[in-house]
This record gives sequence, structure tokens and C-alpha cells, in this order.
Amino acid sequence: MPDDTAVSIHQLSKSFDDVEVLRDVSLEVAPGEVVTILGASGSGKSTLLRCINWLEQPDRGSIHIAGQRIGVDDAGKRMNARALARVRAQTGMVFQSFNLWPHLNVLHNITEAPVHVMGKSKGEAQTHARELLDKVGLSDKAQAYPGTLSGGQKQRVAIARALAMQPEVMLFDEPTSALDPELVGEVLTVIKDLSAEGYTMVIVTHEMSFARAVSDQVVFLDKGLIIEKAAPATFFDTPSTQRVRDFLKNHH
Amino acid sequence: MNASAWQMLFDGAWTTLWISAVSIAIGVVAGLIIALIRLARIPVIDQILVLYISLARATPLVTLALFIFLSAPTLGFGLDRSVAGILALTINTTAFNAEIWRSGFRNFSRDQREAAMATGMTPWITFRRIMLPQMIITSLPGLINEMSFLIKGSPAIAVIGVVDLTRVTNRISAVTYEPLPPILVACALYMVIIGALVWLQRLAERRANRLAT
Repeated sequence: MPDDTAVSIHQLSKSFDDVEVLRDVSLEVAPGEVVTILGASGSGKSTLLRCINWLEQPDRGSIHIAGQRIGVDDAGKRMNARALARVRAQTGMVFQSFNLWPHLNVLHNITEAPVHVMGKSKGEAQTHARELLDKVGLSDKAQAYPGTLSGGQKQRVAIARALAMQPEVMLFDEPTSALDPELVGEVLTVIKDLSAEGYTMVIVTHEMSFARAVSDQVVFLDKGLIIEKAAPATFFDTPSTQRVRDFLKNHH
Repeated sequence: MNASAWQMLFDGAWTTLWISAVSIAIGVVAGLIIALIRLARIPVIDQILVLYISLARATPLVTLALFIFLSAPTLGFGLDRSVAGILALTINTTAFNAEIWRSGFRNFSRDQREAAMATGMTPWITFRRIMLPQMIITSLPGLINEMSFLIKGSPAIAVIGVVDLTRVTNRISAVTYEPLPPILVACALYMVIIGALVWLQRLAERRANRLAT
């Protein structure tokens, strides 16, 4: 497998019961690249994203993170929990519903994994966490508990938490879908800043103008198939399939 | 009631307290361990644990205490009364606690677990750092409930001769021929102990509510 890709997905298939949600999906994400995955709900885009860090297990196909296969070891057997966790640590994920840990304050939400997974010292982890809080514009919220934050603030903490592990790739699963409309902007701004800094990102989203602005590559999923893969200008201005033209008409 | 009667009552209360406390301490931890083992769904072992839980929950404490105390010599070792009492209470409370912890696991947020795994935490770190601290708080009301049941059920161990807070009232009235005063004091002492637990429970519930937001 090529070592110079951040994420390499090869002929991935996945079914839930009788429904095929992913069919032979292949996708390469280069370091520093931003790929957005678009598609109607039920098209398989969240499943594809969740397969990348093995929160869902694909039925067939392979995924490599920075050259390292996830989920299956060298002998072709299912990875044990420890090995799987080590590969997962190379990815950072931001969820639709934030999923912060309510018993920890903002600072500890961010330092928990660096300290207990990477083995960083508390001091070092906290210094880094404060830098990240600064980056997402929440330096004054270090001691706050998640329950006291707005949705947009929670999502920005979740982004900082994922960044703290210095992952090879950031995965965003509809990061603004659970937010009140007036809070969407602050989260999208943070993600745009990250793309400008060269972070590798795979983003599932319904925000079309954001996708257009931030992506290097747009992937369109329909019934588990990638039916279009293009640069944003091409995708939005001259889509090659009728399906995408219909989709874009409904989302503008 | 004279001074020595009071002394006997406090001794009885102390016996009830320390035997219950030891049983509770072992029972809470053992219940958690059983709940953890049951999560792994190991064949045979899982069935054995299910059988244990059903039996322990179905057996009256008095019967269990007698059974342990009387069967130990048959198996070749004598048991101190207190140890037999602790064993009976522990076997009983562990079974209930295992079920309380298990429902704590079942109800734990899948979203939070996924977030932990996504950062690269192993299942063990996820359990220790993310799940357990929250499960202690959310399970505490149920656990404390079980603790107060255990304390209220603890006079059962008098059947094997442990002189606890209830049993001691008998002994006092056997001398004074006034059964009412010692039993009244015993009631008051039980209320103090249970009252302290209820107070703790309310504190825990307030913490739990804060986690839920």
C-alpha cells in the first residue's frame, strides 16, 4: 500500500442486514488534503467515515491510515483491542452530537487522551491543550464543564480534543448538523482555519458553500456508490451526472 | 436501663455497623467485578454467574446465614460467627450490586464510548477514565438503596449467634424484664444509620443530575 497517502480506502463494502450501504468504495486522501463527502441522507457517507476509524467494521475491503492497515493485522486476523486503539489514535474524530465527557472540564476533556493514551505528562498536555483552546477561540473556558457550554462551543472543544492527539487525519461527521443556525458559522470558521494550516481532513457535511470553499476534492455518494469525485469547482459548476445536478438543485 | 445496658446496645450497634460495612465494601467491588465479567459473556462462566445471582437473590438471608454456618464444618473448616455472618451478607448483597452495576453499563452513553475509542483509548482506559467515574455517580442511588436494605436485613445473622443491634435488645430485656426501652433505642440507632445513608444518597442524586445536563 502507498505510504504517502494519509488515508487509503480500497474497495470497501458494508451491509447492514440486507441493505448494502457501501459498495466497492475506493478513495485516497493525500496529506494536507481536504475531502468532503456529500450525498443524501442514507447514502452511506457517515458509515464510510465511521469505517475509516473502525467504529463500523466493513465487510470487505481495506483501509490504511498513513500506510498502516486498520482493523486487520499483518496475519490477516482481526486486530486486538490494543492494536486497534493504536491505529485509531492516528485519527481524530468530531461527532455530530459533540460527545464530550460531561464529568471532565474542558481542559481535561482535551488532555485525557494525550495523558492516558500517548503517555504525555500532565503539564505538557495542558500547555498544548491551552494552545488548542486558543486556536478554537475558547481560552477562557478551560475550567468550564461541558454542560455549561453552547452547542457551538462544545463542538469547538470537541475539535480541540481531536487535535490534541496530533492525528494524521481529522474526520468530521456532520459537525454542524446538531447546531442552531446562528452557531454554525463559528464551527465552520474553525474548520476552515484548520484547512488553511494544512490539516488533512475528511468531512461529511450538508453545508454546500462551506464544502465548496474548503475542499480539494468532493466525493458524492449515492446508494453506497461513489458516483462523482471531482475538484469543487467542477463538482458544483459542471457536475457530470444527473443525480448530482438534482441533488445540488435541492440544496441551494 | 442502666449504664451496662446502654453499653451493650452500643456494642450491638457497632457489631451491626462493622459487619454491614465490611459486607458492603466487598459486595460493591465484587458486584462490579461480576458485572465486568458478565460483559465479556464467557460461556459457562456467564451461566454460572447468572445461576449465582438468581440463587443469591432468591434465598432468604436467615436461611443463607444458617446454611453457611452449618455447612462449613461439614466441609472441614469451622467458621467464626462474624465471618459466617459477613459471608452471608456479602453473598446476598453482591448479587444485587452486580445487577445494579450491569444496568449502569447497559445505560452508559454509546456516544461517549465512541468518542473515547476514537481518541485511541483502549477498552480498559475507556472504562477506568470515562465510564467508571460517571457510573459510580449514576449507580450510587441504587447502590445506597441496596446498602440500606442490607443493614435492615442484617438482624438475620443473629440466627447464628452474632449479637447485633437487634439481638442485643433481647439480652437486655432478659435481665431487666422491660423489653420496650432497648428496642426503642435500637430503632432510633437504625434510623440514625439509615438516615446517614439517605443523606448520602440525596447528595449523589444531586451530582448525578448535574452530569445529565
